[in-house]
Amino acid sequence: MLRIIIAALLMLAGLFVLGVATIGIFRFSTMLNRIHIAAKCDTLGALLVLSSLIVLSGMTIFSLKLLLVIIFLWLSNPVSSHLVARAEVKTNPDLNKICDFMRFDEQGNLIKLNIKTDDEVSAS
Amino acid sequence: MFEEFKNLWRRFYNWTVGNGPRPENEVIPPEPPPDLPFTRRLELKRSRFQERPLASRYNEWLERKSLHVFSMLYLGMSILTCLLFMALLLSTVAELPSFGDANNPVNNEVIKRYIERGGQETGAQNIVAGMILDYRAFDTFGESAVLFTAAISVLMLLGAVRRADTEEISIDLNNASDGILRRGPPSLNLKITTGFTPRIHMFRKNDAILRGVAVLSIPAIILLGLTVIINGHLSPGGGFSGGAILSVALMLCANAYGFEQVHAFFDEHVFIRFSSLALMIYAVLKGWSFFSGANHIESGIPTGTIGEILSGGLILPLNICVGLIVAGTLYGFYALFSEGEI
Repeated sequence: MLRIIIAALLMLAGLFVLGVATIGIFRFSTMLNRIHIAAKCDTLGALLVLSSLIVLSGMTIFSLKLLLVIIFLWLSNPVSSHLVARAEVKTNPDLNKICDFMRFDEQGNLIKLNIKTDDEVSAS
Repeated sequence: MFEEFKNLWRRFYNWTVGNGPRPENEVIPPEPPPDLPFTRRLELKRSRFQERPLASRYNEWLERKSLHVFSMLYLGMSILTCLLFMALLLSTVAELPSFGDANNPVNNEVIKRYIERGGQETGAQNIVAGMILDYRAFDTFGESAVLFTAAISVLMLLGAVRRADTEEISIDLNNASDGILRRGPPSLNLKITTGFTPRIHMFRKNDAILRGVAVLSIPAIILLGLTVIINGHLSPGGGFSGGAILSVALMLCANAYGFEQVHAFFDEHVFIRFSSLALMIYAVLKGWSFFSGANHIESGIPTGTIGEILSGGLILPLNICVGLIVAGTLYGFYALFSEGEI
């Protein structure tokens, strides 16, 4: 009984996070905001849902497979989102109109800080 | 009518008064469009009335009409060929057993035989692998050959541009084709650079995050691909899916570490050699199996006990061959379209 309650709580939390991700994808307008919410919430939501399934099935070989699925998702999902965001930053020339930029040199020192005020953002 | 009378009356009145016809009142008829230039008309007229040898008339006819006649002939022949093939195929279809008949062999004998005796005859636990690589291995051979041919043609098309990077063009000005003698240097050698310069993917090279994940995941992906290929006759999977997984490992390696690192062990020559070797091994092994089976002689291929790794007769080596071809071809397409070469 306790196991089912824990699993249900985890499942509900995961569904809540995934629902937030779905709303956020439609709420935000720029690509970087969308990739932010999609990557973070998908990763956490998948973790919560799969861990609730692990709690439900107990110590079996099935939960080991689910654990491997979690590891794979946590490896692949952030990396793919990172690559998509990186491609966007490298290829979009109008990106500095909609968000702030920090440029670093090769030693990691801050060269240029380009922060927009809210008025400028809303004007553009 | 009234306008014309008015015009005529005005002209008569002007004539009687003595003003003469006014040029702005004259209606100038539009000039008819010239149908042919004068010299051409003259030439046609002359050629029509002169007696000429048959050869020159034939040549002239060829010059004017041959393309038209050829295109009409081509159209007619193609329509005729299509009709012939349609008639042939339809007459063959008419002789086939009707679709959905309960007495057709597909509906009772074939499935029954596959399920009941597939394990004994092919030695494969996975009935699907037994079907596609034993009963219907010829079909799978055709699929692998299609993949290989597609990759080779793309390699030819995209690789030809790279090979002709620089070409020398020499023009001899004194011996030009129009026969006019010119003063100047006797010949001119030009070195023209065509083709692409190799693309440099700057942002791929120093991505620490992708490299860290690639180090962790590439061995796992390769292991999974090999498992899927080798267990093709025991579990779901086989050459095609395992080869696709292996090619994913190659693509990840190329993305994380650059295409130069993949070139160290996999390039155009390795791809062509391995694919041709795999296709040839497939053809020879399966050809022997079909030949012996059709002539009712012992093929000498042991099927082994069902469920072990070394069982299933030819299915394991054929899976390995198909896996090699698919892995090389998929990675080859990726490399060709993103980099221009394998």
